[in-house]
Amino acid sequence: MMRRTVFNICAWIVILIVAFPLFWMVVTSLKPQSELFSRPPTFLPATLTLEHYAKLLWETNFLSYFRNSIILSVMTTVVVVGVATLGAFSLVRFKFRGRETLAFLVLFTYLLPSVVLILPLYLMLVRLGLSNTIFSLVIAYTTFALPYALWLLRSFMAGIPEDIESAALVDGASRMEAFRDVILPQLLPGIISTALFTFILSWNEYLYALVLVNSDDTRPLTTGVMNMLISSFNIEWSLLMAASVMMSVPLIIAFAFLQSYLTRGFGAGGVKG
Amino acid sequence: MENLNLSIRQGEFVSLLGPSGCGKTTTLRMLAGLEFPTSGEILIGGRVVNDLPPGERDIAMVFQSYALYPHMTVERNIAYPLKKRGASKSEIVEKVSRVAEMLQLTPLLARKPRELSGGQQQRVALGRALVRDPKVFLLDEPLSNLDAKLRGYMRAELIELHAKLGRTMVYVTHDQLEAMTMSDRIAIMYGGVLQQFAPPQEVYREPANRFVAGFIGTPSMNLVDGTLRQDGGRWIFQADGLEIFADMLDDSAVSGPACLGLRPEEITLGSGPLAGVVQLVEQTGHENIVVVRIGQSLRLTGRASGNQVWRMGETIPLSVNAEAAHYFADGPTGRRLNAPRRATSFRNLQSVL
Repeated sequence: MMRRTVFNICAWIVILIVAFPLFWMVVTSLKPQSELFSRPPTFLPATLTLEHYAKLLWETNFLSYFRNSIILSVMTTVVVVGVATLGAFSLVRFKFRGRETLAFLVLFTYLLPSVVLILPLYLMLVRLGLSNTIFSLVIAYTTFALPYALWLLRSFMAGIPEDIESAALVDGASRMEAFRDVILPQLLPGIISTALFTFILSWNEYLYALVLVNSDDTRPLTTGVMNMLISSFNIEWSLLMAASVMMSVPLIIAFAFLQSYLTRGFGAGGVKG
Repeated sequence: MENLNLSIRQGEFVSLLGPSGCGKTTTLRMLAGLEFPTSGEILIGGRVVNDLPPGERDIAMVFQSYALYPHMTVERNIAYPLKKRGASKSEIVEKVSRVAEMLQLTPLLARKPRELSGGQQQRVALGRALVRDPKVFLLDEPLSNLDAKLRGYMRAELIELHAKLGRTMVYVTHDQLEAMTMSDRIAIMYGGVLQQFAPPQEVYREPANRFVAGFIGTPSMNLVDGTLRQDGGRWIFQADGLEIFADMLDDSAVSGPACLGLRPEEITLGSGPLAGVVQLVEQTGHENIVVVRIGQSLRLTGRASGNQVWRMGETIPLSVNAEAAHYFADGPTGRRLNAPRRATSFRNLQSVL
């Protein structure tokens, strides 16, 4: 009993330490400008204000960045999940020479630091005439999200009994119909968790966005907010915190609804990946 | 698989029987179109089906794992093959309810597979196969996941179903009791090679080789390694502590290492000219399985009535029915050396301890 109590107290301390920056972010975004740097700092603001949110939404490019991020993340997720699902299906179900080697080669990109890949990728995109477009970021993000998604879905796919696919074939389905009617519904938890991982990766990515796009029309939130609010001379803390809260909202909503799928994804990756 | 040549008659119930890894499931999957032979032809109803996808072979298959679609209800599971063949809604409803009634699944139609017991899942898998009325039913160890009692019940159900439908059924099993009780003919396989294809009684009474002899029958046949030699125009089999005339051999027998096979029921315990020391008694209720040692190391298994009690270590008299002796060439699949049974008439057996 005593041990359990001590364990619980320790766990709560860790949770508080982890959660404090988030709490401080929300509180700062709601404080009036005058209270931001008051000493001693106020844990709960004397007056609550939404002025920073209003300013962010109506007086800056925030909404444009937000839209770019949504388009970018959704497109990347659709491309990655689509390709990874079919790729994982072929890696698990079809027998061909070099299948295992191919699966490991896919992971090879993870051995190289992003900085090494970014220059050749940039040059390639320039030659393709795609530089400074959202699509260039979709391609870039796919390069690092796809291997992970492929491995994650591969382990989910391996858990689906081959017999049910065979049964569908015997029952008169074509290979694609069997995939659609029988495999996909079984794979749904895997697809959802993979989509979540990919969305989060795309939503939070910074380095590629910094190098590959440089206009406000195409910047996603990560680089857009940095560019807008942080300069060599000044950091707009209140706006930065309000932006951070709003950037977190889509992920928090996704987490709240799909948490169980995400943890299942961690489990699958842990066992097979 | 090696040079498999198997011809199954229309309406026949054929079992593919063998130990794990013998190729029986691979054979079934090749029939289904889920695996592909490297050479040769597969014909169903006189039509070569090698290049036909599984759905166009007019077969239905029941899998060992049942392979029910977990996200579909029982009704949708059974209806799926009809739907894939473009059956009308009314036809689907009519056929599904007919099959459900036949298999007593009507109250379960709205349930998902995970809400069913093993026996119920098995019946749904059967229902999905039956609903299409295919030419051939392929059954891959469909009873192996059921408990012993339910297995016995489902075995009887399947026999009845086969009689009622009159359809060709190919049944894969590693359980010889299932194969013996259900089949018109049994194909016994080992190491990817067909060992014997014959009716159950023939497989039991005249096993084609040593593997079949040892595989069929519980307890299994006593297989005694020894040598064959000719003496004065007669064949003699000799093993540790045992020497008998083997007059029933066919013309292909040669001197050298060979194997004697004796079914446990052909050994009479409690009377006879031989003597053996009881090594082990297994009581099954209605009978006792008794292992006796003859000579230094020869161990024979016999059956005795359940009322007959012997202690371990006790020396008892026994005899063997020489007319029922089998002889096999040397090696794990050494072929049968007996001449066809009807042609033999021998009665000379002498044993020397």
